[in-house]
Amino acid sequence: MTTDNHSHANVLIPEVGLRVKALESLLAEKKAIDPAALDLIIETFETQMGPKNGAKVVAKAWTDPKYRSWLLEDGTAAIKSLGYIGVQGENMVALENTPTVHNVVVCTLCSCYPWPTLGLPPIWFKSAPYRARVVIEPRSVLKEFGLDVPDDVEVRVWDSTAELRYLVLPMRPSGTENLTEQELAALVTRDSMIGTGVAQSPSH
Amino acid sequence: MNMLTTDMVPTVLATGDPARVDVEVAPKFKAGDTVTVVNLNQVAHNRLPAYIRGKVGTVTFDHGVFVFPDTSAHRQGPKPQHVYTVVFTAHELWGDAGHPRDRMYVDAWDDYLESAG
Repeated sequence: MTTDNHSHANVLIPEVGLRVKALESLLAEKKAIDPAALDLIIETFETQMGPKNGAKVVAKAWTDPKYRSWLLEDGTAAIKSLGYIGVQGENMVALENTPTVHNVVVCTLCSCYPWPTLGLPPIWFKSAPYRARVVIEPRSVLKEFGLDVPDDVEVRVWDSTAELRYLVLPMRPSGTENLTEQELAALVTRDSMIGTGVAQSPSH
Repeated sequence: MNMLTTDMVPTVLATGDPARVDVEVAPKFKAGDTVTVVNLNQVAHNRLPAYIRGKVGTVTFDHGVFVFPDTSAHRQGPKPQHVYTVVFTAHELWGDAGHPRDRMYVDAWDDYLESAG
């Protein structure tokens, strides 16, 4: 009899799912949350939050020098002006990548992440190896992401252990002088705004 | 307990849970100050990463006044205080394993820092 056709990962996931379901029904039974409200929260995260928002911030900063200065000076206000505000985006700081400085973001204590601009974090951002290694050997970790940071470039690792949330402003790729803001936004990847990647070149 | 209903969701998501508080508290430090991170090893909740304990860094920015998680998590009050970004050289944190150019920026509450000047 071979009923056990689960992979190892699938054996673990139903347990988490069951726990979530148990918590959800407890919260509903105790009238702490209306299940419809929970559905609306999930729908909002699925349809309105994600790296496309952050990409619009970056593309605007690439094309509008005044907006760029504002973003670097008061990230929260500049990002709010585009409508991206709320849970885990209450206090935003934009970090400018330059030819001599490369920024990368981590939360070593848990998985803090700027939800309104980037959505929910990828699994690797929450993993112990990324969180432990990127602070002690950032260059090796970036290399594994495909980024070879030259020796004469300073790597700045930002650990969002408190209430500030960070968005990396990647460098604008060359050969994009004639692109519109919308076309530029399509080149801005999630990883380029975490600092584990760079913006794509138009020929990509 | 107030039940979270659908009509409340947009406001809750848009407002967030601001830990910044509008109270006057004198900062202990200012940008440019050299600080030593306290060697805190309490079992209770805290937001101080182990790898900076006892290390010397420089304050780069004062972000204003925030609720202190160590007390608020245990219902001992907000104990509002300044949060700073503190920069450490990779060499200070990791010795010769650190790249000479690299820097780690960590956000820290006033209670986590002592003057090293």
